[in-house]
Amino acid sequence: MHTLATAPATGRTWIDLDDFQSFIDAGGMVEPGDDMPGEYRDEVFRFIEFHANSELMGGLTERDWIPHAPGLRLKQIFLAKTQDEIGHAHLLYMVAADMGVKTRTEMLEDLFAGRSRFHNVFHYQAVTWADQIAIAYLVDAAAFASQRAVFAECTYGPYKRVLKRIVAEEGFHMRHGEEMLLRLATGTDTQRSMFQEALDRWWWPAVQLFGPDSDPDDPLLRWKIKSQRNEDLRAAYVQKYVPLLHGYGFTIPDPELHQDDDGTWHAGPIDWEPLKATMRMGGPDSKRRIDTAARNWADTAWVREALDRRGAGT
Amino acid sequence: MNVYEVFLKKPGRDEFRHAGSLEAPDPEMALMYARESYNRRGEGAEMWLVDRADVLVADEADLDVNTDKPHRHNDGSLVAARRRDRREGVGGDE
Repeated sequence: MHTLATAPATGRTWIDLDDFQSFIDAGGMVEPGDDMPGEYRDEVFRFIEFHANSELMGGLTERDWIPHAPGLRLKQIFLAKTQDEIGHAHLLYMVAADMGVKTRTEMLEDLFAGRSRFHNVFHYQAVTWADQIAIAYLVDAAAFASQRAVFAECTYGPYKRVLKRIVAEEGFHMRHGEEMLLRLATGTDTQRSMFQEALDRWWWPAVQLFGPDSDPDDPLLRWKIKSQRNEDLRAAYVQKYVPLLHGYGFTIPDPELHQDDDGTWHAGPIDWEPLKATMRMGGPDSKRRIDTAARNWADTAWVREALDRRGAGT
Repeated sequence: MNVYEVFLKKPGRDEFRHAGSLEAPDPEMALMYARESYNRRGEGAEMWLVDRADVLVADEADLDVNTDKPHRHNDGSLVAARRRDRREGVGGDE
C-alpha cells in the first residue's frame, strides 16, 4: 500500500517496445503509475507540454483584448474565455508534471525563456479587433479540430480525461467565435473589410497549425496519441471552412485554391517556412509575445510568494 | 504547495467522479482553484477535495487475493444455454 503522493512500488511493465505496442493495439490505456517506455514518456510529455504552453500563450493573447472588446457582453465573453484558456493550461501542466519529466515551474521557466515551443498562431500579432475574431473563429477551430483528433483515441489516461473537459469548453468558444463573425459579416462595409483583412492575415497560419504532412512512422500515431494524420486534418479543415467563409461573402487568400469535380476543396501549395520560423521563435511577433509572457510571470511573483507564505502559515 | 485531487458529483444518483488535480498552498485556496478550474459551468452539484498524500492506493498484491474467486460471480451461461435451446426447439424435455 502507498498513497497517491508517492511513487507506486509496482506499475505495469512491458518487456520491450513491441510488447508495449501490442498493449496499445489491443486498446490499452497508459496510467501515470505504469512503467511506460522512456520513448513514450518523452514524446507524450513533450506533446502535452506543447499543448499546455499553447493554451497559456493563447490565453495571454486573449487577455490583451479584454479592454478593447466593444461592449460589456464581449468583454465578459473574453474574460471568461481567457479564464478558460489559462485553466486549460493549469490542467495540462498538472498532467504533464505528473509524468515526472519536468516540474510545472520548470515548464513555465522554459516557456518564458523561449526554450520550449507553442502553436505557430501565437507567434503573430493581432492588429485589429477583427484579427481577434479571426483567431476566435478560424484559429480556435483549427486547434479544436486537432484536439478532438487527440481526444478520439489518446492512450494516456490523464490526458484523455482532461481533454474531455477542454474539448467541451472549446465548443462554447467556437459558438462565441461564429456569432462574432456573423455580426461582422452582416455589419457595415468597414466591418466586412476589417474581417477580410484579418482573414488575409490569419488564413495561412490557421491552415499551417496542423503542421506538415505526418511522418510515415510518426510515433504519436503509432502509440495512438494522435488519431489522424496532419494532412487529413488539414484537408478536412479546408473542406469545411472554405465554403463557410465563401457563404459569408469573404475571399480566401489562396489563388490556387480549387474545387474537384466531386466538390472537394483543395488548398494551393503551402510554404512551410513561416511555420518553421515560429518553431525557432523567429515568427513576426515571437519575441514580443514571449517577453510579454515573461514579464507577466515576473510581475506576478509577489502572488506566488504570498501564496507560499500562506501555505507555510507565516 | 500541496496537490489536491478533485471529485465532482452531479445531482441525482451518479457517484462522485475524479475530475483532476490542482496545486494549492492551503485548503481554502484549493477550494477556490477547484471551483474556478473544475466547476466553471456547474459541472458538479457537490465537490470533494482530498490531499493527494491522504489517498491510499492499493497495490496489485492487495487486490490479488480476490482475483481467484470466480465462485463469487455467476455469468448465468448454463441457464441461458437451456433457454436458448428451448427457444430453438432443440431441448428434449417437452
